[in-house]
Amino acid sequence: MRLDAQGQREDSGCAMKHLSRVSRLAACACLIALLLCLSTARSDAQTKRATEDSPALNDFLSRVNAYVKLRNDLEGSLPALKPTDQPEQLVERQQALAKKIAEAREKAERGDIFTREARKEFRRILRQQFQGPEARHARKTIRQGEPLPQMHLRVNQVYPEKVPLTTVPPTLLLKLPPLPKEVAFRIVGRDLVLHDVKANLIVDFIHEALP
Amino acid sequence: MVFAALASSLAAQQISLPLKPNSVRFAAIGDMGTGDNAQYGVAQRMTEFRQKFPFDFVIMLGDNMYGGKQPRDFEKKFEAPYKPLLDAKVQFYAALGNHDTPGERLYKLFNMNGQSYYTYKKGNVRFFALDSNYMSPEQLAWLEKELKNSGSGWKICYFHHPLYSSGAFHGSSVELRGLLEPIFTKYGVNVVFSGHEHVYERIKPQKGIYYFTEGASGELRYGNLRPTEFKAAGFDTDRTFMLVEISGDELYFQTVSRTGQTVDSGVIRRAPETQPAKVVAAQPAKARATQPASRRMRARTTAQRNVQTVAGPTLR
Repeated sequence: MRLDAQGQREDSGCAMKHLSRVSRLAACACLIALLLCLSTARSDAQTKRATEDSPALNDFLSRVNAYVKLRNDLEGSLPALKPTDQPEQLVERQQALAKKIAEAREKAERGDIFTREARKEFRRILRQQFQGPEARHARKTIRQGEPLPQMHLRVNQVYPEKVPLTTVPPTLLLKLPPLPKEVAFRIVGRDLVLHDVKANLIVDFIHEALP
Repeated sequence: MVFAALASSLAAQQISLPLKPNSVRFAAIGDMGTGDNAQYGVAQRMTEFRQKFPFDFVIMLGDNMYGGKQPRDFEKKFEAPYKPLLDAKVQFYAALGNHDTPGERLYKLFNMNGQSYYTYKKGNVRFFALDSNYMSPEQLAWLEKELKNSGSGWKICYFHHPLYSSGAFHGSSVELRGLLEPIFTKYGVNVVFSGHEHVYERIKPQKGIYYFTEGASGELRYGNLRPTEFKAAGFDTDRTFMLVEISGDELYFQTVSRTGQTVDSGVIRRAPETQPAKVVAAQPAKARATQPASRRMRARTTAQRNVQTVAGPTLR
């Protein structure tokens, strides 16, 4: 009996030890999960901050929206263009729109949209992207395009039609502020470009933005 | 002598697709818009093959026009080489490559309707043409929504940058894969076509999805394929195009070189929703080229019986 009882006690002691090990493990797992959640939440919050809660980026988006309103008004003054099988119409239309925008923004300078404060924010996001865990793949995405010729960008310049586009790393696009469909981010060399899609025009850019 | 050459040429142009009634038939080309002789050669071969395999449309996997985008470029790099197909009312559905410009979205003959990503349906197949140059969160959300609502038919995605590639020049788009593959698997995408790497390649099924790279319909990177664990078949010594037929739960494919040689072929059988599809048969080019037609057919039939066979030794 004693033995049994002892055995039982021993067993129950073992079970208690086992239980306490299990509960310790469970507690550890919970703690790790909690830390992971917190870290994800923190990282989400950082991303959110980068795109939504930053006064500099909000100001950037206001400037982008003002540009889009201007270019949409200008586009509205041109005859509407539907899909056409006449390439002449496509080319003429693009040129006409680019010319109108360039004329309307004759005095536009680099930094009008990417202001100094916005540039700081963009550089921070880019640094995070290209020095973080996704850096290797993001750099590979950029390198996957054909090497570009040396280009000296300027505002209101038409993006050269013979120069291929560099693929913008999709994980970077997840971190950058969302743009209206009329404009897109482009990467040319180490420059980050704001590109008017239909007019094929360089709206503004950050020189040597990529680390 | 002439007769022998003619017979050989006809044998080379043999169609290995079943031509089932009411099937969905299309061709796939990528990286073609050079305007040089090679593009015209492939286009001519496509026209010849269409006499035997009347496909209704062509999917374009990007780099539809290299270099200039002036009206004369549209003529030289698209309208002239594919004129016989355009005259026969064959429709072209383009995806944009890194050498294309957004302006091409409004070119009616590319059927993009002003969008850089779009979807359309042919028979029991839903196609999704994506813009892999700019995979924005908006595009990802759109894709997820469209796939979710796309029903139970075949789901085929195509875009320029390959998620898996044995090409030495570019290789796999790993970052893009990390974003797209979970969506593809979640919503049951069956087959993916890409270009960018100037070779032909078929990838072993990855998470139940079949990947093809057809980036040699104009450009070519001779000898650029290297050994990888995921390569099922490849061809990098001449330009190619693909012919595809979908009937019920079967997708038949045949990849043809500029000289009319079949360099790869096979059948993908779509299994019930949750299971990956299986390639039933495929033939490497060298074997096909050296066997007489009757033996080729026999080999294919034998392979077709073996439904578990996952095909094809690599060509290089």
